[in-house]
Amino acid sequence: MISPAKGLTHLMNILVCLKQILDPELPSRDFRIDAAGRDADRNTAGLVMNIFCANALETALQFREKHGGKITVITFGVPSAEEILRKALALRVDSAVLIRSDLSQRPNPWCIARVLAAAIRKLGDFDLVLTGRESGDWGDGQTGALLAEELGRPCVSLADELKADTVNTALVRIRRQTDQGWEALEASTPLVITVTNNEHNVPRIAKTRDVMQAFRQPLTTWSLAELGVDAQSISEDLACTEVVELAIPIKQTHCEWVTGETLDDRISLLAKRIATVVQSA
Amino acid sequence: MNGEHATREVFWNVSQVWVMYVLLIPTMLVAGYGIYRRFRTWRRGRPEQRFDQPWVRIQFLFRHAVVQQATWQKRFAGFFHALIFWGMVNLTVATTVVLVHHDFGLPIMQGQFYLWFQSLTVDIFGALTILGLSLAAVRRWTSPSMPLVHSWEASMILILLLTILFSGFLLEGWRIAATNDPWGMWSPFGYVIAMASLSWMSIPAMQWTHAVTWWFHMGLVFGFLAWAPYTKLLHPLTAVLNLYTAPLSPIGGSLHAIDFDKNESLGVNALSSFTWKDLLDLDACTECGRCTAVCPANAVGKLLSPRDLILDLRHLSRTQDDFSKPIIDATPALSPEALWACTTCGACVESCPVSIAQMPKIVDMRRHLAMEEAVLPDTMEKAIGSLEARGHPYAGTQFSRLDWMKGLEVPQRADIQECDVLLWVGCGGALVERNQRVTRAMAQLLDKAGVNYAVLGREERCTGDPARRMGNEFLFQKLAGENIATLQRYQVKTVVTACPHCFNTLRNEYPELGGNFEVLHHSQFLERLVSEGKLSPKAQSEAKVTFHDPCYLGRQNNIFDAPRQLVQISVRPASVEMEKSREKSFCCGGGGGMSFVDEPANQRVNQERARQVLETGADVVAVGCPFCMTMLEDGVNAVRSSDPSTRPTKVLDVAELLWDSVRDQSTTF
Repeated sequence: MISPAKGLTHLMNILVCLKQILDPELPSRDFRIDAAGRDADRNTAGLVMNIFCANALETALQFREKHGGKITVITFGVPSAEEILRKALALRVDSAVLIRSDLSQRPNPWCIARVLAAAIRKLGDFDLVLTGRESGDWGDGQTGALLAEELGRPCVSLADELKADTVNTALVRIRRQTDQGWEALEASTPLVITVTNNEHNVPRIAKTRDVMQAFRQPLTTWSLAELGVDAQSISEDLACTEVVELAIPIKQTHCEWVTGETLDDRISLLAKRIATVVQSA
Repeated sequence: MNGEHATREVFWNVSQVWVMYVLLIPTMLVAGYGIYRRFRTWRRGRPEQRFDQPWVRIQFLFRHAVVQQATWQKRFAGFFHALIFWGMVNLTVATTVVLVHHDFGLPIMQGQFYLWFQSLTVDIFGALTILGLSLAAVRRWTSPSMPLVHSWEASMILILLLTILFSGFLLEGWRIAATNDPWGMWSPFGYVIAMASLSWMSIPAMQWTHAVTWWFHMGLVFGFLAWAPYTKLLHPLTAVLNLYTAPLSPIGGSLHAIDFDKNESLGVNALSSFTWKDLLDLDACTECGRCTAVCPANAVGKLLSPRDLILDLRHLSRTQDDFSKPIIDATPALSPEALWACTTCGACVESCPVSIAQMPKIVDMRRHLAMEEAVLPDTMEKAIGSLEARGHPYAGTQFSRLDWMKGLEVPQRADIQECDVLLWVGCGGALVERNQRVTRAMAQLLDKAGVNYAVLGREERCTGDPARRMGNEFLFQKLAGENIATLQRYQVKTVVTACPHCFNTLRNEYPELGGNFEVLHHSQFLERLVSEGKLSPKAQSEAKVTFHDPCYLGRQNNIFDAPRQLVQISVRPASVEMEKSREKSFCCGGGGGMSFVDEPANQRVNQERARQVLETGADVVAVGCPFCMTMLEDGVNAVRSSDPSTRPTKVLDVAELLWDSVRDQSTTF
């Protein structure tokens, strides 16, 4: 907990949702698909914190440094996901919650949003809920928005800057990336924000003393049953999407010579050939 | 004339001698306080064991304080320093003889001893001291570009000593002349002065000037003795102490481990975090500047200057009473920019005549930056992040640890029952394309020689060398712990590696953490295989080769000959040496995590070394280190792109040269 900046009386209570994913830097030739052809095989890959989640965490840490507040991190995953919570604790977040997944299959964004929402209701009120814009494994980019829906709160997506309003403590100022440029928004809390990367929210590294300390800090662990999430709705969530097949694209090179009498012939034949290839793709 | 009764009168022509004895008291008090003040400072450092193995230490002290091996590495400076040193030793002994003879009442200053030692030897050494001091003065006052500290103190010391010695000779000459000393010829230089004085001075005039000069001489000597401990002339004392307590390990083993279970400071950002030996180092510095002159970072214009770093720390230790104050960034030489420029090549440590450990202090301060503040240069941060997540520093590599062995049958330790030798591939050898070729050559050589070897494959982690030298000792110990557990699980006894950084860490740094293995650099192992006849070189290349000593193999572990012999086995013409080779080798720029840093285009250490390589006109520069390989390739390419007329010198590992020779395919150029 960090005391509020001068003039602010309200401390923001911030929750950052984190996800542990397969190391995206796994060399592509080491990438494997499991026997069922539905998911990536863990194989030799390490597990890391999703980069956009790390950006969201960094944004929260910077917000707390400036305006004070309290940061809780949460993840829904297998027991190994504790590692990313410890990493967050090493960056001095105030508390961490692990929701153990005992599902037999990979949860989809609907399911994750439902579980997170249940946990949030149990944890109490948060002014800000931050998620990464998408995960580096499946890249659905749905969880943040679905979570807002589940909580019945507004959602700002693709934010890359977050500031407190110096006058109205229930307001935050958000800069949002769009195709055309940036949007500057003012939003009242509570709300959900999905965070994207920019040069200012590159994740920091932890101080060694904090890393050592992080392993001794308490961690709240809940099972789905403890959250009171009902199994029926979870299975409905899981049923709404299905991975039919997952395949590694095969890189093929095919060489074709365009022949013709004159240069002009060859050019027009080449142009026609390109047109057919583009149309068929 | 029979010399049996030869002697001279002590205090001839001097009255009121008691005044001298009285003056001796304040002189000793002032000098004593000067020494005590320093001693008090050293005691403020943390404890460190430096008095073990006294016999080894005495031998080391003899080589460096008496023979002055390191000082002689600079011929001219070594020469005049020796003249001054031995001169002063003789004069001190002569004074002690007088003390024993006159004050202790033991009449030793007589007869043959008086003639041969007290007169002739001391006279000659006195003159040599003047010669030495004059050469030092000429160097100091005529070469302003020397890496010397041009202080009034240094000049004053020379002037004072010269005045003292000259006046001593005048006193001797006048005494010989005025007393018509029958043994005067035994002091040839004094005798010349006596003869010269007789030609234009009367005896009473000589007696009078002698008396005045005697007090002047005595005053200067006492003043000098009182002042010396406040100047760099404290070094006759501190250098001896520092040499006796010098680290006994090779430079590569000179970093000390942090005990994370104790709540000690992680790294150094205050004088109080240094050990007493670190603080003694500061006072041992004679400001000679050799460390800065050999520093590769300094040579390319970076802010780092090991000498200034030591002198600034010394200044802080003498001027600030509060030893808990931050020292990083207190001066430009102590700024993070300077600290992050170090390649940890160890040239500074090697060059120091009084065994100051500059590089380990830099790493100590980096530890503070990396662990207490968690602020590193961006690209180093990336390498650290990758080490944490993936156990190798090459963020973004598309290679796995098994890719290099494609098409070869390389046994992995997990798949076989036992092996004699573990080939430690290293991250550079596995994940950097150019170095994969070296690892392949190595594996094929081992196969050819019928060595029962294996690799760890995916179970291998970075040894932790870059993490440690970038200051993250915590990460280093974590990686080391994992590797030691793996190696012990497979009961590995002998490890061979083509990476001198892995070699150094496995050999010098793992034992402290409980990992004891026989560790060989691949050049040592291959040379052994050749001499045992298990590998027979067939073709010999006609290439002109120069060998670049990797810092962590040569200077830091004293292995110079094995790789050179491999070169000579594989190549017919005699190899050429660069001007800076062996202990004096110039870093490729890649150590200490620097190969993960994008240096400013005009301050690249590798290009400087590449120019030195190209100066030899060699066809091939042979290396024995994956970092040197990539740094020098990049360096040679960069130099050639700005000057295409330069020779297209190739960079090859000694294993590649040998493999070409063994498989009868001489490398042609």
